[in-house]
Amino acid sequence: TVDTSHEDMIHDAQMDYYGTRLATCSSDRSVKIFDVRNGGQILIADLRGHEGPVWQVAWAHPMYGNILASCSYDRKVIIWREENGTWEKSHEHAGHDSSVNSVCWAPHDYGLILACGSSDGAISLLTYTGEGQWEVKKINNAHTIGCNAVSWAPAVVPGSLIDHPSGQKPNYIKRFASGGCDNLIKLWKEEEDGQWKEEQKLEAHSDWVRDVAWAPSIGLPTSTIASCSQDGRVFIWTCDDASSNTWSPKLLHKFNDVVWHVSWSITANILAVSGGDNKVHTHSPWHGGHSLLVFTPPTREGT
Amino acid sequence: MEKMSRVTTALGGSVLTGRTMHCHLDAPANAISVCRDAAQVVVAGRSIFKIYAIEEEQFVEKLNLRVGRKPSLNLSCADVVWHQMDENLLATAATNGVVVTWNLGRPSRNKQDQLFTEHKRTVNKVCFHPTEAHVLLSGSQDGFMKCFDLRRKDSVSTFSGQSESVRDVQFSIRDYFTFASTFENGNVQLWDIRRPDRCERMFTAHNGPVFCCDWHPEDRGWLATGGRDKMVKVWDMTTHRAKEMHCVQTIASVARVKWRPECRHHLATCSMMVDHNIYVWDVRRPFVPAAMFEEHRDVTTGIAWRHPHDPSFLLSGSKDSSLCQHLFRDASQPVERANPEGLCYGLFGDLAFAAKESLVAAESGRKPYTGDRRHPIFFKRKLDPAEPFAGLASSALSVFETEPGGGGMRWFVDTAERYALAGRPLAELCDHNAKVARELGRNQVAQTWTMLRIIYCSPGLVPTANLNHSVGKGGSCGLPLMNSFNLKDMAPGLGSETRLDRSKGDARSDTVLLDSSATLITNEDNEETEGSDVPADYLLGDVEGEEDELYLLDPEHAHPEDPECVLPQEAFPLRHEIVDTPPGPEHLQDKADSPHVSGSEADVASLAPVDSSFSLLSVSHALYDSRLPPDFFGVLVRDMLHFYAEQGDVQMAVSVLIVLGERVRKDIDEQTQEHWYTSYIDLLQRFRLWNVSNEVVKLSTSRAVSCLNQASTTLHVNCSHCKRPMSSRGWVCDRCHRCASMCAVCHHVVKGLFVWCQGCSHGGHLQHIMKWLEGSSHCPAGCGHLCEYS
Repeated sequence: TVDTSHEDMIHDAQMDYYGTRLATCSSDRSVKIFDVRNGGQILIADLRGHEGPVWQVAWAHPMYGNILASCSYDRKVIIWREENGTWEKSHEHAGHDSSVNSVCWAPHDYGLILACGSSDGAISLLTYTGEGQWEVKKINNAHTIGCNAVSWAPAVVPGSLIDHPSGQKPNYIKRFASGGCDNLIKLWKEEEDGQWKEEQKLEAHSDWVRDVAWAPSIGLPTSTIASCSQDGRVFIWTCDDASSNTWSPKLLHKFNDVVWHVSWSITANILAVSGGDNKVHTHSPWHGGHSLLVFTPPTREGT
Repeated sequence: MEKMSRVTTALGGSVLTGRTMHCHLDAPANAISVCRDAAQVVVAGRSIFKIYAIEEEQFVEKLNLRVGRKPSLNLSCADVVWHQMDENLLATAATNGVVVTWNLGRPSRNKQDQLFTEHKRTVNKVCFHPTEAHVLLSGSQDGFMKCFDLRRKDSVSTFSGQSESVRDVQFSIRDYFTFASTFENGNVQLWDIRRPDRCERMFTAHNGPVFCCDWHPEDRGWLATGGRDKMVKVWDMTTHRAKEMHCVQTIASVARVKWRPECRHHLATCSMMVDHNIYVWDVRRPFVPAAMFEEHRDVTTGIAWRHPHDPSFLLSGSKDSSLCQHLFRDASQPVERANPEGLCYGLFGDLAFAAKESLVAAESGRKPYTGDRRHPIFFKRKLDPAEPFAGLASSALSVFETEPGGGGMRWFVDTAERYALAGRPLAELCDHNAKVARELGRNQVAQTWTMLRIIYCSPGLVPTANLNHSVGKGGSCGLPLMNSFNLKDMAPGLGSETRLDRSKGDARSDTVLLDSSATLITNEDNEETEGSDVPADYLLGDVEGEEDELYLLDPEHAHPEDPECVLPQEAFPLRHEIVDTPPGPEHLQDKADSPHVSGSEADVASLAPVDSSFSLLSVSHALYDSRLPPDFFGVLVRDMLHFYAEQGDVQMAVSVLIVLGERVRKDIDEQTQEHWYTSYIDLLQRFRLWNVSNEVVKLSTSRAVSCLNQASTTLHVNCSHCKRPMSSRGWVCDRCHRCASMCAVCHHVVKGLFVWCQGCSHGGHLQHIMKWLEGSSHCPAGCGHLCEYS
């Protein structure tokens, strides 16, 4: 158990790329970063800047430095950066009309791109263009009523890498998935002209989609997305045939309560699911999709 | 967004029914007030003053109080209040400083009753005494508060705040003589109505103007104040010094604050700029509003709960010229939207999980907020179902290890560091890796390595201590040695005529075969029995005579001229392209129809996912019998690699790919291989295993992958003598024909780590230069350059 000293509910906790730091964010408007190496927990930074509950945090790939994005009920997205050991606000994006619920960094191969999903139904994409400048693209009305989650597809190159001489940037197809209050999961693809287009609509949930997680493509022959919803169901979506782009859902489990989060292990062989019962269930979605372990946080009795 | 629920509440005698609804007003509203029957609402503004009946489905205009052709400034209302005891009595505060009372009981169209023109500037607020029918209080921009007795023509008393304008005045609900007033300078004053000479108490509540205040309807002495500093504060006024109990931060300045009836900790707020929404806060959860009404398109100017004992109906007027009735049930509840849980998979397979602690846990274990410590009774109170969340919210953050006792992904790191991928014969690599896997408790992987070894190493080359692995428990040295002898002998005996010739005779070889299989079976049966005596003895005796031949088959002693001796391809470094020479396709044809083939195939297939040492042994046995060429297993190995990759063990897939090299490469399509490589390299880099990652890149057969570490590796070097760029390869300068890589300190040619200054091109052994720089910052070559090393 990590003592976060947050004064209100924690909405998200994310480990960085190397698994050495943990960022948490809370209703108390703060974002905290802990060093969790060797089982320790040292508070490195307490980031204040949001004026509302902070819903989600996301670490950027370390090749861009130590960068953390956070999104909040105050309609803002803040990008924090560590410079010489101190964390500071490096950019503030205030382009949404309502609470920003989810942030997710694109695979590092694409450059520094952040997708933000908001309750105003829009998804905005922030691309770093150098010298502290960010270019904003916005997908309006991506999800009616609101967007709850965004998750990038792993970087996959059409065709073989071999066609591209080294040094030249391969032509990636950028994709991400989003889940919203319209009970849908949508897949978005960047067109050649740089515009984002809805590529696919995945329909299976009967209530708000709370989280989507695109599986890391380590060793997997197929594209896989996990989604969870207010309706208590967790679906695994697979796309076996990339050319026809048809996705088929498989019900992993039906819980009796809202399922808030799905998270893949880095090798994508285990899916962790957290539900309204305050427990974490881990599943192996492959080979039968059996439940593995259930974790229950210790009660604070006697502390 | 159709959310039209209907709520009916019975409140002793009267029944409230309604739904979320709104009606258009002719002009922007400045203030609203509800009649005590909860059935009518008055809306006042600069150019509006109307009474609406609140019906079930809609608002119905009942009375327009703004009469006369040329309405006077007296009708331009900043505030309006409906008497809570007398249904016919209203008071308004006019922007010209006049306080007007209205009597709805008057028969004429003009209901205006009394006019008090005592204030010099805009009157911001009027307030009736909660229990005294004739007492009216006003607060004005001119800094004065006045108390009127409606039975008299002018004010009874005047209170001077001794400061700038008064923004709000409110009679205490419980204390008959007390009222609070708030000021533009951030102060709150408490007055006794009988003592106009000075205030009872004064304190600074906010930074900047305090726009509003509201006494708690039940809790004596709780006063909520709202200011331009975007904060709502709850004060306990019963103590000697006003004590701040709660503080709510909103996103815009707070214009109005109203406690929610029947919900002790709830209050509604609205802002005077930027934000058009109305929020209901639980003061114990100061960061997230409990409910939010988003109907208005412009600033909300007036809010009022419809009935003093009903928590579900809220009325509001706005600058957008609309009057709304909000149902709490229909409010959007940001708390409900909020994720109460955070979940993340760490790199090492650990899970970070933050979850909301239930109220129960909070009650038993945690200290409640300081503000609540005074009222522990709260926790025992049955929670109001109308409250969207139960009390305090806090989260516990736990980090779980997914593999109890183990380090999660620790095996990955260990394996990556310890696997041998090249530089040794295949068999040794397989053995080594099997051993590594077994030591890490990954038996299936270990078995796979052993299997690979058996499949791909021609039997004659199987070094000793082989079956040791497949049997599993690392037995004595003697027995496995004998076993492998036996196998070596047995396989050629069956497989080819020429080898048969070398054995002492047909009958003899048959016996050997039988014996050895018996041995194997014995071994299987008691795999745990280390060095069981019977077969060992037997073998020792039996095979003795063949030792010479066996040595001939050993790689070291193999005669190159011997045509049947299969050269160990594994002896070469794997990255070299070697033509795979299977022991002979004719053997396959020989035995293609033998029942052993299908049997072994089935066996191998069945054991691909979870094998035991039993089946493994029988397979290897079958293999030797049938002498299948490694090619035969290509498909199988491919499936096996796919299996591991799908399991998330891309490490295994890549390691096998590298170790087997050409043997399997052709069976797996280039793209998949590339994908595995990049995935594995990615993982290695995440674990900061740079050296392993580099080795994998180097060993990879895929061009796209191997070029990964060839990016930006060019070094531009200047000759240390003539200072010109070195154009040719090597360390000899074209121009001065001297070796450029001389150490400036010891004047020897540097081999290994060479460090040099980019300014003057001089450098030398890293150690020497470092030592030199401790004493001097000038170049050791004596060129006078102040060297810089980064």
